[in-house]
Amino acid sequence: MICIARSLRGFRSRILAAPVVALAMLAGGSLAPAMAQDVVKIGIPIGLSGANSVVAPSVVQAAKLAVSQINAKGGILGKKVELDVADDGSGADGAVKAFNSLILEKNVNAIITMETSAARNAGLPIVSRAKVPFIYTSSYEGRSCNRFLFVDAWVPEQQVPPIVDYFQKVKGAKTFFLVGSDYAFGRGMLAFTRKYIEAHGGKVVGEEYLPMDASDWTPVLSKLRAAHPDALISSTAGGAPNVTLTKQLRGAGIKVLFGNLGIDEGTAKAIGADATGTYMSQSYLTTLDNPQNAAFKAGLKQMFGADMKTPNDLSEPEYDGIYLYKAAVEKAGSLDPFAVVRELPKVSFLGARGLITMDKEHHAPLTMYLGQVTADGSVRVIQSFPHVDPGDQCPKFKS
Amino acid sequence: MIDLFLDIVTTAGILYVVAVGLLVVFGVLKIINFAHGGFLTIGGYAALITTELHLSPWVAPPLALVVGIVLGMVVERLIVRPLYSRPLDAILATWGLSIVVVQLITIGFGRGTQFVMSPLQGAVPLLGTSYSLYRLAMLATALIIGAAIAAILQGTRLGLTARAVIMNETLAQSLGINSALVRFVTFSVGAGLATMAGALITPLLSIDPLMGVPWLLNAFMLVMVSGTSLVSLALASLVLGGAQVVVSTYGNPILGALTIVVLAALLLRVRPAGFARA
Amino acid sequence: MRLPSQRFRRELRILIMLVLCGLLIVAVGPLVLDRYSVSILVRSFLYGSIAVTVDILWGFTGILSFGQSAFFGIGAYACGLAFDHFGISPGVALAALAAGLAVAGLVALLVAWLAFGARVSALYVSVVTLVLAIVFVQVIYAGGNFTGSSSGLSDFDTFDLSTAAWFRIAGAGLVVVTALGWIFVRSDMGSLLVSIRENETRCRYFGISVTWVKGGLLLASAIVAALAGFAYAGYNDVVAPDLGNFQFGTQLVIWVALGGRGTLIGPAIVAVLVDFVSAYLSGSLPFIWQLIIGGVFIVVIVAMPQGLGPACVAVIRRLIARPADAAPVAARLIAVPLRPTARGAQTPAIQLTGVTRSYGSLHVLEDITFSGRSGELVSLVGPNGAGKTTLIRCISDGEERTAGRVALQGCEIGRMAPERCVRLGLGRKFQAPTVFDALTVGQSLRVARSRIERLSFWRCADEIRLPEAAMRVVRATGLDTQLATTVRHLSHGAKQALELAMVLAMEPSVLMLDEPTAGLTKSERTVIGGILMELVAQHGLCILLIEHDLAFVREISSRIIVLYQGRIVLDGAVEEVASSELVRTIYTGEPQALGEPV
Repeated sequence: MICIARSLRGFRSRILAAPVVALAMLAGGSLAPAMAQDVVKIGIPIGLSGANSVVAPSVVQAAKLAVSQINAKGGILGKKVELDVADDGSGADGAVKAFNSLILEKNVNAIITMETSAARNAGLPIVSRAKVPFIYTSSYEGRSCNRFLFVDAWVPEQQVPPIVDYFQKVKGAKTFFLVGSDYAFGRGMLAFTRKYIEAHGGKVVGEEYLPMDASDWTPVLSKLRAAHPDALISSTAGGAPNVTLTKQLRGAGIKVLFGNLGIDEGTAKAIGADATGTYMSQSYLTTLDNPQNAAFKAGLKQMFGADMKTPNDLSEPEYDGIYLYKAAVEKAGSLDPFAVVRELPKVSFLGARGLITMDKEHHAPLTMYLGQVTADGSVRVIQSFPHVDPGDQCPKFKS
Repeated sequence: MIDLFLDIVTTAGILYVVAVGLLVVFGVLKIINFAHGGFLTIGGYAALITTELHLSPWVAPPLALVVGIVLGMVVERLIVRPLYSRPLDAILATWGLSIVVVQLITIGFGRGTQFVMSPLQGAVPLLGTSYSLYRLAMLATALIIGAAIAAILQGTRLGLTARAVIMNETLAQSLGINSALVRFVTFSVGAGLATMAGALITPLLSIDPLMGVPWLLNAFMLVMVSGTSLVSLALASLVLGGAQVVVSTYGNPILGALTIVVLAALLLRVRPAGFARA
Repeated sequence: MRLPSQRFRRELRILIMLVLCGLLIVAVGPLVLDRYSVSILVRSFLYGSIAVTVDILWGFTGILSFGQSAFFGIGAYACGLAFDHFGISPGVALAALAAGLAVAGLVALLVAWLAFGARVSALYVSVVTLVLAIVFVQVIYAGGNFTGSSSGLSDFDTFDLSTAAWFRIAGAGLVVVTALGWIFVRSDMGSLLVSIRENETRCRYFGISVTWVKGGLLLASAIVAALAGFAYAGYNDVVAPDLGNFQFGTQLVIWVALGGRGTLIGPAIVAVLVDFVSAYLSGSLPFIWQLIIGGVFIVVIVAMPQGLGPACVAVIRRLIARPADAAPVAARLIAVPLRPTARGAQTPAIQLTGVTRSYGSLHVLEDITFSGRSGELVSLVGPNGAGKTTLIRCISDGEERTAGRVALQGCEIGRMAPERCVRLGLGRKFQAPTVFDALTVGQSLRVARSRIERLSFWRCADEIRLPEAAMRVVRATGLDTQLATTVRHLSHGAKQALELAMVLAMEPSVLMLDEPTAGLTKSERTVIGGILMELVAQHGLCILLIEHDLAFVREISSRIIVLYQGRIVLDGAVEEVASSELVRTIYTGEPQALGEPV
């Protein structure tokens, strides 16, 4: 209440106090003065509900693991790390609320999260205004450029070529049918895919979108059947649309070469038998054989036991992202956003996906794996493509 | 062409199964049950429970039916009965109920999307194409449910009294029919049909706490144009569902999603009775 | 008895105080609140403004709209699309605002055209607005890169205003919208809105173009919502399909119901409070919070349809016994002479030719042909089910008859709606007393006269001018001492008299009365009989009267028409009909048949 009294001193009339105090009461406990910073707060706005709800829990687990490991070793710059998770509803409107709450109410020092493109775009203006470092750990359609934004996951230039090359060269596919969820990621991925296919002599015989929250693919499947393509490439929102598409595709008895740009191992497992034979291109697979991956999986197992969600290509980068942020803060020697942003492209972290450095115009070169879902739900690696460059994502950040 | 035909009839079947519970309630009680979407969702989660308990997927629909009837009894007694004379308020209160249902389910099962086992897998060869077996089964289910309701209405004493209340409630009351009891039973059955429909559609789709909303809207519009007749509902499902499939297939799936609601609204403007007495 | 203008002046002082107080809170809010609260309240204030419009539509006028969110969305997208595609400049901003308001307005008119046409059910407007919200979302989805589809648009250049400035703009907007709304609903026009909610048909028969009133109201509220949406997008730098979906539309309705429909302030406060608290609680206990809102909503709808606001006020009133502010408020009645009407003495006031009404093969009326001149009191008699009331319906509503022609003062009614028939000089009193329960007697009379004297949008007139005849009905039945009484509390007889007075207030030249004296005392009945005869004799009205009390009929009629099984069986002078054997046969079994007064 001290701050109310102070700010009222200028007013002569006492009558004023009544409504002002009433309004202040309305604001509840939010009047507490900002406490001296003795923790590092990391905000995770994420789609706990909506299209991303299937994958979100695994991402939160990866973040919790990283934070508990860091805290066990003394935190960042000697400060304890805290996580604040907020549901963004997998959409723009929810993201505005989540970002506002995290940045303005919870005063987080950084946003490190995996989100839909809609949510990321909606959150960016808030991030820019408040000047908060933002590490985006989700694969996305590319070309999102902001001074405070860094990406440690793949973009189309890294993910699409393995699948299309394999379909064209090994499987002899000539005609392609593209299916997506109607949002920035879906459209962006497929726009690149179409360009890439056509540049390499293939033909796109159809391109169809459904709204992100739609679950009935019947009309799209009818068109697919009529088009008789050699291969189907889909880019849906993670989770529900992916599952319903695969189930209904197989339910309709359509047997076509199927490359899924939006699927991960966990989703493949959730789908079960219908996912068998689906091709995917990922930078992380649980079956990767390296000590970092073994330690990552063991850490999750130990921390979450039976509740552990299968780690995946969207959750592992979250783990890397938090460590990258730690490295940048320590190198900068402060939490000052400008100093941190200056150091972020220079630091590296050796995670399960290998050595990650976001030094290519705020994006990271990655090793990509082409995999195929086997009958028992696990993913068999067919081929690996080391150190794939993300291409020119944000020329203005060229160093 | 065969595919289109099968898409149309199976879509109509699914719509019929989803809307019939709402129609039954509207027919007798003359109120729109906006908790219908909530009941559908409950049915979906009933199916999820059977999957998690590793029961046969065939158990899900009857289990959902029973759950729905019991819940319907409670809801009728506590919420719907005081609002018979205020039909608009009944819409709002049942919508409030569906909010409560969504939140309770979220607390119990989480916000995430989940999936259930399908009792019927894959496709069968039919009329020179291969078609989803489960969708065909939904068409058969629609026919069975329609026939069963018709049989109850025509062949049993309860059905007779229900028909009397549908036609002229005041007269029915003056003839000594206990219309409160008829309403109670009807609402419970309507709720049961809704939950069963929820359990039936989930193997095709995914389950989340909000899954009922889009279905509620379609069912609401179908009932608006069908009045109180089961035959009209079948006709409406076929015509509007067919239009949806055609628009989605030859036009744009996004516009297709609009077809039912827009056509139904325009139809009601031109012909307030809709498909009833058509 | 205080005059409305005295009350208005007193209330206006309080209102101005409250407005100033509100503006002051809004002005100092950003100084004392933390950033997060300020940023949340901007949105809450905008939502509050829309809640006020929903309350005017639903709480006052009875239009339950699930799609007010769509207009909000239209305004928001006007801002987002323009700034995203053309960048920001004053020109673009103005053009975008104009375009947004224009689109919202056109869509509102389209909805009105669809939903407020004659002969659609009251539920239909809810259906159409529900569809509107769904269509809005799908149109945005279908817009691909142009609208950003399900992602929406974000991070466009927007107004360079601080959050505090937005707080003040949105807060001042809410205060102004609420204050204007409050003045509006307490004006004579506000009474009209309530009368539409209470009994739309009765309004149509006062010659009120209900369709236009509702359409205009929807238009105005759409524009307010679109403005709020425009501000929302400009402030948040984000537009998404969720802004216009029907869940948001329903949420607005929930806020209004909780705050108390028909109270304006209640919905505004609840909208701001609930949205604000939601923002705080959505992090820690989102589901419980929604659960509580849903549960409270059900309880409010079932157990206290008035809403929480009025319930709280009632409790406070009971606790603090205020000095009775009971001075009743009502306008003065002023008697005015009937307006002279130009009517040709030659053309009959009413002329029916071969009028038939059938339901399939069942003929309720068959080949009815008769005419009534000015200065004639024609009584329609016949047993129950003879088709008397149906005949009156066929004369007053062009859509009712199956065949035949009806002319009023020489003008064919064609397929005209009642409100247009009324403009030809028709007045109709219904069989059961059809009045506006929630209005006072004075307000009712004022509304009834709205076709002749325009209603004010911002104040209540101090004077109600009534033609001499209406005045006499009011005086004879003691209604003049009950002008401030709410109609709900009147006796059955008084309601009858009120409806008759309301019909006379609109100065009809052809008057159709369906059992106007049922439920009146003998003396009241005599007075009314006298007034009717005087209207015919001195003012040259043509009256068509349905009565069962044949002694009364005999006393005042100039002619009697006997209807039996949908046909005219006799049409002649009083004595001729009264002594007819046929009539006696028809009425056999009806105890009062041509006998003594009951």
